[in-house]
Amino acid sequence: MRLSRAVLYLALVWGACPAVATAQVYIGRSVPHAGTVEVSGGGTFSGGYDLGSISADETRNTGTGTGPFVLFTATSRTKPTLGLQARLGVFAAKSASLEAGIQLARPILSSQLSGDAESSADVTATETLTRLVVDGSLVLHLSGLSFAGGKGVPFVLGGGGYIRELHEKNEVIETGREYHAGAGLHLWFGQGKHRLGLRTDVGVSVRNGGADFSETKHTVPTAGISLAYLF
Amino acid sequence: MRRLATIVLTVAIAGAASVPASAYLKLGTRLGTRTVTLKWSQMPIRYFVTDRGTTGVTSTQLQQAVSRSFSSWEAVPSATTSSEFAGFTLANPSTGDGATVIGFQNRPELDRTLGATSFMVDTTTGAILEADIFFNSAFPWSVAAQGEANTFDLESIALHEIGHLHGLAHSALGETELRSGGRRVIAAEAVMFPIAYATGNISGRTLKADDIAGIGDIYPAASFTRDTGSISGKVTKGGKGVLGAHVVAFDMRTKTLVGGFSLSDDGSFVIAGLDPGPHIVRVEPLDDGDVESFFDLTLNVDINFRPQFYDKIVVVPRGGGTSGVELKVVAK
Repeated sequence: MRLSRAVLYLALVWGACPAVATAQVYIGRSVPHAGTVEVSGGGTFSGGYDLGSISADETRNTGTGTGPFVLFTATSRTKPTLGLQARLGVFAAKSASLEAGIQLARPILSSQLSGDAESSADVTATETLTRLVVDGSLVLHLSGLSFAGGKGVPFVLGGGGYIRELHEKNEVIETGREYHAGAGLHLWFGQGKHRLGLRTDVGVSVRNGGADFSETKHTVPTAGISLAYLF
Repeated sequence: MRRLATIVLTVAIAGAASVPASAYLKLGTRLGTRTVTLKWSQMPIRYFVTDRGTTGVTSTQLQQAVSRSFSSWEAVPSATTSSEFAGFTLANPSTGDGATVIGFQNRPELDRTLGATSFMVDTTTGAILEADIFFNSAFPWSVAAQGEANTFDLESIALHEIGHLHGLAHSALGETELRSGGRRVIAAEAVMFPIAYATGNISGRTLKADDIAGIGDIYPAASFTRDTGSISGKVTKGGKGVLGAHVVAFDMRTKTLVGGFSLSDDGSFVIAGLDPGPHIVRVEPLDDGDVESFFDLTLNVDINFRPQFYDKIVVVPRGGGTSGVELKVVAK
């Protein structure tokens, strides 16, 4: 439902652009146009998410109580993580580009083990995952909302991707999908056709699969900051 | 010339196993310094059923319950076992006649034994030559589809005994409590747990992950090697190996439990037949009243340590193993 709403917002913004595009423009002689390329690289943040609580159950004998006998309970979570990203975008029009990205992070999967039937001390068991996300996005550059003399250009984006997570020792690979939507800002330096800039974005990513044994979808906040180069 | 030995394993309310476990849930026999796994070298396993029923169970119903139990083991996709009903016989299930016989026997002196499996094995190879199962007709039995109050479910006990017949030893995946008259099972997660469920209970008709891992370990199908993995490591206390520690792997995806034991003086253990993916590993000592159900009492099984978890999530690869899991336990 959230994703559908984000797509709707994108469509509305897209529809609004032509009306305001003439009010403010990118600074400099060469505004982005079809064929302009943007490359960027920097850091990302991905929020953590709960994987729920599961119990190690044994089958009860008659007359010894109700429900399964719980040997212990494991409450698991993927912790928030920082990572690296690289993106390549190609403008299809002055205000729209198609972007491919790759993100690498090493989130920690933790499981709080408690309620042991024989009073084992509670322990948090962990492992470090290696997460690779390859995604594609449609980016709408809101040049009509640019500021600082055209140096600051907001954008919105949405897309989907493929998640590949490796457990420790890299012997087990789990795959999944993600869909994302967000908004951000380009701050360009200089006025030439080739220009350097700073790119920041925030958003949400809806994920399922990967090293997620809860087998449910999770919505996680995301953020990124990169150096960008336009040419 | 084959050297033959008779090995008797008893199961029920109070079990008395007289053989060492060669692996986490396999039967074994000592050959010099080596332990060999007991297993059938040829399939199908041909068996006779004693043409004698007991109160509430005809010989035909006995044969049908036994057949269903064999079928349950044979349905495990990661294992290759098969059996053949050779016919009814007037012979008792006694070792040494060359025939595998399953039937009732009235053994009132064994007042805590519902059933037992005895073997004749080639002790040079571990090959099972003959196995006999008796169900103690001193107890009340039933084959009712939904179980019957105040009677033991024959199919559940047959499934357990036929697990032994295949070479499986007892599993420690269960909890018991001491009551007047003996131990009572509170809960179990393996058909091969040594103490039976109460009368009227038919939970023992369904194989659990631990049983499935065990039969696959003894008679592996191609999928066992290809699709499952293992966890191996050591249990140590004060830097020394712990023998007889019960190590449990909990599959976080399937929520199933598979157990094994540290089986050497250096505390080494291997749990095979695990589904790929993340597992929680936990170690506990056997209950002091249970040791003889699993190990030869001449072995120096250590039960003086606290249960504890391993502090890493252990990920099992498909068709491979994760090694180096060291569980450092402390004395109680």
